[in-house]
Amino acid sequence: MESLYLLIPMSLVVVAVIVLILYWAVKSGQFEDLEGPGHSILMDDDVSSTRGIDKSPPSTSVKQKE
Amino acid sequence: MNAKPETPLSIDNCYHCGGDLASDNLYEAALGGLSRYFCCAGCLAIAQTIHGQGLEAFYTRRIPLGQKPDDLGQLTDQVPDALLAYDDPVLMDRFTRASSEYPGEYETTLRLEKIRCAACVWLNEQHLKRLFGVKDVQINYVTQRATVRFNPNEVHLSKLLHSVEQIGYEAWPFEPSMGADLAKKERRHLLMRLGVAVLGMMQVMMYAWPTYTGAEDLLVEQELLLGWTSWALTVPVVLYSAGPMFVVAWHSIRNFPKTGMLGMDVPVSLAIALAFIAGTISLVLGVGESYFDSITMFIAFLLGARYLELLARQDAQGGAEALAKQLPATCDRFEDYPNTDLTKSVPVVRCVLGDVLRISPGDVIPVDGVLLSGEASLNEAILSGESRSVSKKVGDVLYAGSHNIVSPIVMRITVLGQGTRIAGIASLLDKALLAKPQVVGLAEKWAGYFVVFLMAAAGLTAIAWYFLDPLKAWETAVAVLVASCPCALSLATPAAMAAAQGAITKLGLLVVRGHVMETLAKATDLVIDKTGTLTTGHPELKTILALRSGYTEQQVLAIAAAMESGQKHPLGLAILEAAEKQQIQPVILNQAPVSELGKGLHSGIYQLGARQWLNLEPISIDQENEQASLIYLKDDQGLLAVFALLDTPRPGAMEFIQQVQARGIQVHLLSGDDQQTVAWWARYFGIEDHRGGALPEDKFSFSEALQKEGKVVWAVGDGVNDAPFLAKANISVAVGSGAPLAQAGADAVLTTESLKPLSQALDLADKTKIIMRQNLIWAFVYNVLAIPIAMMGLVNPWIAGIGMSLSSLAVTLNAWRLRKTSE
Repeated sequence: MESLYLLIPMSLVVVAVIVLILYWAVKSGQFEDLEGPGHSILMDDDVSSTRGIDKSPPSTSVKQKE
Repeated sequence: MNAKPETPLSIDNCYHCGGDLASDNLYEAALGGLSRYFCCAGCLAIAQTIHGQGLEAFYTRRIPLGQKPDDLGQLTDQVPDALLAYDDPVLMDRFTRASSEYPGEYETTLRLEKIRCAACVWLNEQHLKRLFGVKDVQINYVTQRATVRFNPNEVHLSKLLHSVEQIGYEAWPFEPSMGADLAKKERRHLLMRLGVAVLGMMQVMMYAWPTYTGAEDLLVEQELLLGWTSWALTVPVVLYSAGPMFVVAWHSIRNFPKTGMLGMDVPVSLAIALAFIAGTISLVLGVGESYFDSITMFIAFLLGARYLELLARQDAQGGAEALAKQLPATCDRFEDYPNTDLTKSVPVVRCVLGDVLRISPGDVIPVDGVLLSGEASLNEAILSGESRSVSKKVGDVLYAGSHNIVSPIVMRITVLGQGTRIAGIASLLDKALLAKPQVVGLAEKWAGYFVVFLMAAAGLTAIAWYFLDPLKAWETAVAVLVASCPCALSLATPAAMAAAQGAITKLGLLVVRGHVMETLAKATDLVIDKTGTLTTGHPELKTILALRSGYTEQQVLAIAAAMESGQKHPLGLAILEAAEKQQIQPVILNQAPVSELGKGLHSGIYQLGARQWLNLEPISIDQENEQASLIYLKDDQGLLAVFALLDTPRPGAMEFIQQVQARGIQVHLLSGDDQQTVAWWARYFGIEDHRGGALPEDKFSFSEALQKEGKVVWAVGDGVNDAPFLAKANISVAVGSGAPLAQAGADAVLTTESLKPLSQALDLADKTKIIMRQNLIWAFVYNVLAIPIAMMGLVNPWIAGIGMSLSSLAVTLNAWRLRKTSE
């Protein structure tokens, strides 16, 4: 059981690190919207990267039937 | 014309809005390599914008169909003047703020409208991100607010708003109040405290594992190490996570002589403090148990419940903030009235008394004033509850917040800002919120007595044991306090509330003030508004009387629809809607229809409008349509047809009223509409007590009178005129599609079109009441059993600790069952 002398202080360090990560996450607003990012991941997959930031209009032929 | 020609299309619905395609008037465009068809130029323009940016995934991902754009003017690349006014420094100052992290960049918060699914959020986010000068866009899925960071030299606020409109949505700049910043801080602070408590709990429980399992082979030093490590982790949980509770408890004790009541935080703080001190003493002396695992677990559970409660509460907003949303921020001001016709779009805050404004049809009047020219037809429903439009003559007073329906009007400002009628209603609302009866939770009432009882029990135990066995006195007294810790009691109601609120939000009722579920079960009287609440407030074509042989109902409707096309009057819109629904093509008129304000329309031989204007004898109409608005259609040979239009009841309204009455709740129908209309609708729904012509002040005093009789008043409403009485009632629900100001005063907001969630909420309130009772009984039974045993000195301190944790867990899990009931 001598390992306790190493493991317990280590666990304290781990907790301290986690608290710091939590502090960062809360401060940077990671918990503000818990639903949206989940949806946006699904959505982004469908966009082909090649067309991503194309700002020119596509070639469209518009006609009105009479 | 009448026969529908064969269409060579595989899909006969509009690609964007899903509306039916008129085969002789459709638009076609090649998008993504396929021919797509559209019902109007607006839908086409939106779809082109979306495809043009490679965002067509929207069409495969969206759940509901799109909406037809109202106004084609929004879709051009030119930013409209009304939006350009937002670039005025005064408005810029109000709606944007310098980014704290990125110098030279600005941030603004936009409230998005017409968002219906996750795909809409994604589309708006991507679309805004692609604008030149926009650095970052974050859209909150739940609140539908977009935070945009942009470079003010490259893109303006007006451009942001306009680009959202270009893809068929609407955006309003949102003025973040001081309150919003504070709320965010409070939320983050509590979340951090909760996180620390949960981490502490997990870690301390791990260190307590040898004690739970009774590990024999631990050395004394190792036990000491575990003990002091637990202590080191418990200190931040007690001081940081539970710290504010001690502060509140201290205030509560200090104010005890005045209030005569002790809050829930007093027994909670006492238990935490005593258990922590006792545990520390045990640790130093090396005898007895420490209770660190129980303490951290209790704090974590309690903060968890409080965090959920805080989230719900923060969705509520103040009257002042809602008022800002009710009125437009910009207006068209005449440069030099009456010499020129020139107007300029300016922020309303720049206007002064005496300025002359032009209000376009479809716009909301931003200030109180008098009508200078023309005749106006206004919808004041939001202020008075009157569903039909009101005619105004030159010199009549116009109120801020009313809707201009038919023609452009010219008005002079007489009252600005806080003096307006709508601001007056808002301040009545704030006053009512302050005076709102405080709901004292069931558990809180018990807590006060419980503390006194607990202290007495612990004191008696210590004294008794001092005489029996002085060595055990301290240990036993602590065991009594720990075993009887009010954890279960203090968690009993908040846990049930949090679970029930989660369930009811999914059904479509957003609870913004915590006590809703508890009070709902106690309601004795329902006071409900008519227009916009029980009924939708939108007229619908009910009956067509085709009065001349040779004309079918369809034919007369086709004539009427042709005359009304392009009109914005609600009755006209209802006729157009009916024609569209029945797929009737309007006839082609030889002359464009001319509108006679407030009377009707004429085109060639046809006249459509009110009976008085057409010089016709009244015709008798059946009982069903007694309350209907009648529109007469006449040609050169006399009367052709009569259209009866009627307000429509909201879906689920009938069932809701019946269910409420079946529970023995007295229903009162209170409306600003005229007495006759209200009486008719009261008969329709089977409501005995009804009153028409009620002013906001009347509604307010009506619920006040009921409350004085000791009734628990439940109010449901939607308009600004309902806001004060919603705030006054013991419990209130605002209809989500109604005025933001009404929502500010309400305890809950209905987010669906149907009233069904209200019925479901009633059922859930009953269940919540049962669960809360079970929890309280459990907490009570546990204490009744544990305290005497602990007093006798039979409870091992670690059993006391486990008992305390288990009782909290049992209460939380029992409450969690409420979440299931919705499915």
